[in-house]
Amino acid sequence: MGSVSIRDARKAYGNVEILHGVSIDIADGEFVVLVGPSGCGKSTLLRMLAGLEEISGGEIAIDGKVVNSLPPKERDIAMVFQSYALYPHMTVGQNMGFSLKLARAPKDEIKRRVAVAAQMLSLDPYLDRYPRQLSGGQRQRVAMGRAMVRDPKVFLFDEPLSNLDAKLRVQMRSEIKQNHQRLSTTTVYVTHDQIEAMTMADRIVVMHDGIVEQIGTPLELYDFPDNLFVAAFIGSPSMNILGGKLQAGSFIAADGSAIPLPFAPTGMDGRVVSMGIRPEHFVLDPQGLSAQIITVEPTGSETQVAMRLAGHDVVGVFRERITARPGEHIQVRPEQGRIHLFDGETGKRIKHS
Amino acid sequence: MQRQSTGYLFVLPALLVLGLLIAYPVAYTGLLSVTDNQGNYVGVENFARILGARATPTAFMNTLWWVFGSIVFQVILGVLAAILLNQNFRGRAIVRSVTLIPWVVPGIVAATTWAWMLHTEFGIINYMLTAPGIIPEPVGWLTNGSTVLPVMIAINIWKMFPFVAIMVLAGLQSIPNDLYEAARIDGASFWEEVWYVMLPQVRPVIVAVTLLLVIWALNHITIIYAITRGGPANRTLITPIQIFRTAFESVQFNQAAALSVMFFAVAIVVVFIYIRTLASNAGEAR
Repeated sequence: MGSVSIRDARKAYGNVEILHGVSIDIADGEFVVLVGPSGCGKSTLLRMLAGLEEISGGEIAIDGKVVNSLPPKERDIAMVFQSYALYPHMTVGQNMGFSLKLARAPKDEIKRRVAVAAQMLSLDPYLDRYPRQLSGGQRQRVAMGRAMVRDPKVFLFDEPLSNLDAKLRVQMRSEIKQNHQRLSTTTVYVTHDQIEAMTMADRIVVMHDGIVEQIGTPLELYDFPDNLFVAAFIGSPSMNILGGKLQAGSFIAADGSAIPLPFAPTGMDGRVVSMGIRPEHFVLDPQGLSAQIITVEPTGSETQVAMRLAGHDVVGVFRERITARPGEHIQVRPEQGRIHLFDGETGKRIKHS
Repeated sequence: MQRQSTGYLFVLPALLVLGLLIAYPVAYTGLLSVTDNQGNYVGVENFARILGARATPTAFMNTLWWVFGSIVFQVILGVLAAILLNQNFRGRAIVRSVTLIPWVVPGIVAATTWAWMLHTEFGIINYMLTAPGIIPEPVGWLTNGSTVLPVMIAINIWKMFPFVAIMVLAGLQSIPNDLYEAARIDGASFWEEVWYVMLPQVRPVIVAVTLLLVIWALNHITIIYAITRGGPANRTLITPIQIFRTAFESVQFNQAAALSVMFFAVAIVVVFIYIRTLASNAGEAR
């Protein structure tokens, strides 16, 4: 009922093209997160979907119907803005019911649907208040309520949590997810926060410089990043990237130290590559490589260690408690089968079976 | 204590100027209104005489028409102009500047120019209307009793609507873009955006500007005095003009003072409402 199909969507301002052909298919009921650094075009894409920006090229279809030239109100979408964009002169109830009022819905139906949404968001005590009398989290909920009341085909969220403090953000994150599980309305959610993306999404679209870098479930992106950008963007602390080349089934780092690979890419001797290792995929091993400790940050459950390994500064996260002190050496090796290799020129993942 | 007396010292110059330029004339007008031209106390005699004058009720009715007619159209036209000037179109900067011209032109210049344009025989307005045959013969805009006050009101509207437009435009520009976008997504048409988003957001501006316009219309002298001096047959005689003419043409300072005192009482009520409104808006904002 609320599928979205984006086909080679392009956006240009004058001669400057900022979206270079983006294609995404979103199934009905799916929660898709567009994530990427500032300026990657994710918000622009969302606004094109909403009808707030013109589509310079390509096609966007909602529910099988091309919406390129339809104004927002004919697209059957609802949007939650970063600033919430609540009408300051209307009460919470009026804000939530505004779209129905514009649609000339009967008064008691508006009242009923506002009440249902308010109940779901625990806003019932505040229906007669004005937005300025609410806290940030409550305003955020009103903005969501305004979207929910309409029962649209697609919900659009534009960085809805970035104006909230850290604790509230975590809470609202799970509220949004719960609401999605209850309503199963197709949702497109834009954020620059990869943790938000990982925790909320059914599927994540990683964007960078106006193109889609990779689309996949959170764990697909985590386990099999298609390229260096996705590898470095997803995960916290982020993946360690070591430069070097391949030789005789080993990775030779810039300083000459060799890391044996569990697989032997054939015919690639001498190829310049980047090796990616996630911090939690280092293990302590007396036969491993020697690394000099820079800092040790215990969090109790695990220990984060910044260290110098094979001429690179890397970060490792260990379940063990590390007693070594800065300046001392520990022996570590990457966990077998958890090593990522990327082409040194294109940054693309080098696949191995 | 020390701090307080220093404070008084600092406001003293301002208080002195206010006292000399405002408090003293007000008090002196009050004194004039209850004395004769010899300075003898005469009680309410001046009030009785001026109220009994034939021109007074006429001027009162004219003033009501003048204020009401001016305000309604100044505000409507000003708000519409502001909404128009808030849209994106080519040459907007030029149109914005041109819109301001009537307000920038000195009143006396505007009045004289309009008087010529409206001249029965030589005026361009009659020329433009009669030449293509829109009206069969020239209209005596400024001599015909039924057209002269509406014409004066029209000139006043022309003169002041840019002020409303510029104030409301400033208000419109402070509305975050998100609100318009939210309204568009909620399904608002352009006029629904105007009605449900723009107007409520600039309501405080419109109220404040309206009250200012009322005060200015009540005080008005320039345009009418420069063109008709209140004539013909008192058709454009509004109270401020009547006061002016009673004082400086009939040299009845005491009666003029009596009329001023009564008029002042009315004006002060409007000013009071204005200040109250401003104060409550300040509390309401955000």
